[in-house]
Amino acid sequence: MALRVQFENNNEIGVFSKLTNSYCLVSIGGSENFYSTFESELSENIPVVHASLAGCRIIGRMCVGNKHGLLVPNSTFDTELQHIRNALPDTVKVQRIEERLSALGNVIACNDYVALVHPELDRETEEIIADVLKVEVFRQTIASNVLVGSYCVLSNQGGLVHPQTSIANQEELSSLLQVPLVAGTVNRGSEVVSAGMVVNDWCAFSGMDTTSTELQVIESIFKLNENAPSSITSSMRASLIESMS
Amino acid sequence: MSMYNFKKIAVIPTAKDFIDIILSKTQRKTPTVVHKQYKISRIRSFYLRKIKYTQQNFHDRLTQILSEFPKLDDVHPFYADLMNVLYDKDHYKLALGQLNTARHLIDNVAKDYVRLLKYGDSLYRCKQLKTAALGRMATIMKRQASNLTYLEQVRQHLARLPSIDPYTRTIIICGFPNVGKSSFINKVTRADVEVQPYAFTTKSLYVGHTDYKYLRWQVIDTPGILDHSLEDRNVIEMQAVTALAHLRACVLYFMDLSEQCGHTIDEQVRLFESIKPLFANKPLLLVANKVDIVSLDELSPERRATLAEIEADPELDVLEMSTVTDLGVMDVKMRACEKLLSFRVDQKMRSKKVDGILNRLHVAVPKPRDNVVRAPSIPESVMKKRAEAGDKKKRKLERDIELEEGDDYILDLNKHYTDIPEEERYDVIPEFIEGHNVADYIDPELFERLEELEREESIREETGMYVVPKIELDATMKEIKALAEQIRNKKAILKSEAMVQKHCKKPVMPRTSTAKVRGRNINKLRKEMSELGVDMNGTEDAHFTRTKGRSRSLGPVAKRSRMEVDVTENKNKNRAVSRTPRNEMGIKDVAMKNKLAQIAHRAIAKKVGRMGLKGEADRFIGTKKPKHLFSGKRGNGKTDRR
Repeated sequence: MALRVQFENNNEIGVFSKLTNSYCLVSIGGSENFYSTFESELSENIPVVHASLAGCRIIGRMCVGNKHGLLVPNSTFDTELQHIRNALPDTVKVQRIEERLSALGNVIACNDYVALVHPELDRETEEIIADVLKVEVFRQTIASNVLVGSYCVLSNQGGLVHPQTSIANQEELSSLLQVPLVAGTVNRGSEVVSAGMVVNDWCAFSGMDTTSTELQVIESIFKLNENAPSSITSSMRASLIESMS
Repeated sequence: MSMYNFKKIAVIPTAKDFIDIILSKTQRKTPTVVHKQYKISRIRSFYLRKIKYTQQNFHDRLTQILSEFPKLDDVHPFYADLMNVLYDKDHYKLALGQLNTARHLIDNVAKDYVRLLKYGDSLYRCKQLKTAALGRMATIMKRQASNLTYLEQVRQHLARLPSIDPYTRTIIICGFPNVGKSSFINKVTRADVEVQPYAFTTKSLYVGHTDYKYLRWQVIDTPGILDHSLEDRNVIEMQAVTALAHLRACVLYFMDLSEQCGHTIDEQVRLFESIKPLFANKPLLLVANKVDIVSLDELSPERRATLAEIEADPELDVLEMSTVTDLGVMDVKMRACEKLLSFRVDQKMRSKKVDGILNRLHVAVPKPRDNVVRAPSIPESVMKKRAEAGDKKKRKLERDIELEEGDDYILDLNKHYTDIPEEERYDVIPEFIEGHNVADYIDPELFERLEELEREESIREETGMYVVPKIELDATMKEIKALAEQIRNKKAILKSEAMVQKHCKKPVMPRTSTAKVRGRNINKLRKEMSELGVDMNGTEDAHFTRTKGRSRSLGPVAKRSRMEVDVTENKNKNRAVSRTPRNEMGIKDVAMKNKLAQIAHRAIAKKVGRMGLKGEADRFIGTKKPKHLFSGKRGNGKTDRR
């Protein structure tokens, strides 16, 4: 199930929300339209929580998390941290980390088992990621971009990476992550895929500009519909070629 | 998408309006007042400006028209041809060309008259030249009247042309009139084309859009074509031919097997053969419409035989369809889209366009690197919900609450703290207490520690650690304590008195008042000291009793009198003292007074003496006759300055 949403007329919804398998953080906006889209879809299964980090709304880029935990940057206020702790279930560990690269969402990409991190991330941070999120950590680049968190979206069932990622790089990343990967775009050709969409194992949200072919690729690679990821190379191939060139 | 959007061309006024617009603009935007007594250069430049301004406006306006209309050589050949069919290429080019000439002529007229104006030697002649120049420009424009009306008509028609993108995925429907082309486009798209049971209901191209395989498809409905030579075709038919000739599209050739359209199958086949060159290199489908009346199988053998010829072509598919019963409509659409899609993909694969996106058509499937199972974690509830898809309960969302409460809505963050009991959920926790950040002291073992501390404390209390020992006092100590108490009190009183005095915001004592004599006397001293507990017995002859009052500061000493008068007696009397004169205020003694008087005298003398300068005490009038009071008309009684 993939939905198109918009945050205050902005399509970069991955910036304003964080979706995992056990919780969903949504930034506090002027109206509840954005929040309620998530709420109606998810709140029966997982908590959907209003949050801000360091007084900012760009929570999707500031924090990183999965089923097991949530890492927030050092600049997070105590009250915000307390609010998140109160609102999330006790099984989710919330940890504030001191890291020079404070936009954690941009430098770390992870699912519940594996994380790709920026090559210059602190060693301590790497250990904290491994402990709190319970993942294997790999220092990697995507299409020679160090901001792995921005150019890659992961769930336990698949992943979408920067459209310029070479096939060799895709294969390498895929064998590290142990999920099928495809290079693609969101929001009518935006290559910062992580800013344009959020996904977990059963649900995806993407910006309002996302075209139907993009949405179809998202649904198949993340196994949100009946299509297997391989359908991208078979049944969808013609429409993909037609729409992309 | 909007590459070919002709809706933005500005309206073209008629020649008369055109001239009016320009001339009134000149009138409005250039100066209007000139007098014959002005210098001739000024008069010339006045009229020069009018001529140049008018010419510039004509020029700009014409340039705008020329640039806004599409150039037939620049637009896609489909549009170029369509415009040729609709508006006649020669006429169109001529009209624009003549406007261009008119523009040049106007420029030349202006240039000539600007030159002539330099010889204008009076206001009258300059004005005549200007009138002549503007008149000639207007005449030139008047001659363009027919061109302007023609272009306005073209503009209106262009604006109403359907916006066809010649490069996108397109399906073109063609065939004889009345075979069901428009009915089909109405079925597969949201276009609303008029359908009537007579020929040539559709007189121009229509566009609709449909979706297939997540892509958008442009469907073009063309007017019917009759079977005659190209030269005989009318404008309506030629539009269809243009579309067929220039658009790289999938062509659906519609046939009416029932012959209700008024043309036999034989004729329809002949038309197909005659326009076949237009289908070259395009995916083509033959659609047999109206099968609800006669289907392919029900055709008589001789009619079937005429069709057999075309059907023999291996690349041509014949599909049956009925727009009345919807039979095969979607099938036709699907087949057409599928055929065009594979055709276009094939072409693209041959070009280099696809190389750049090959990596995006590849799905990297992982090779297992260990035996760890990395299963997706989808909650049970999601699975259950998926299974019973369909009955979606409408929940009350935050948005609904927001809409309900309107402006009073406040986001309630604490509502979802499910781990905290209801009555504690809304407890206010201050961020700071006594300058300490509360969050710094949050500790999971806080309560245990508190308990431990309390336990320790109670043990201390029990052992009597805090009991104050009783202290015994003897008589001397008591006296000392009492005295100390007294002294402390006095000190406190003095302190507070001093504070009160210090804090008093009364004006500072003026120089006119005399210095306050400190009220020191022996009795007061005795009283105060004894109050403080000092023994003052036997001090009748003490040193302090012999202090003499000092009198020097009471004022300048009077001139020593020749006569020996008893001064001391006089001084002690309390006489009323008048206010001291200004020159004696704050002065210590006579010597000082004299000295100051001398200094002042010298200073004033210096000022007044040197070149008879005024001193500050002299009478002074700043402005003798202020302008505001003496200029302009005078009313009654305004002459005088008050």
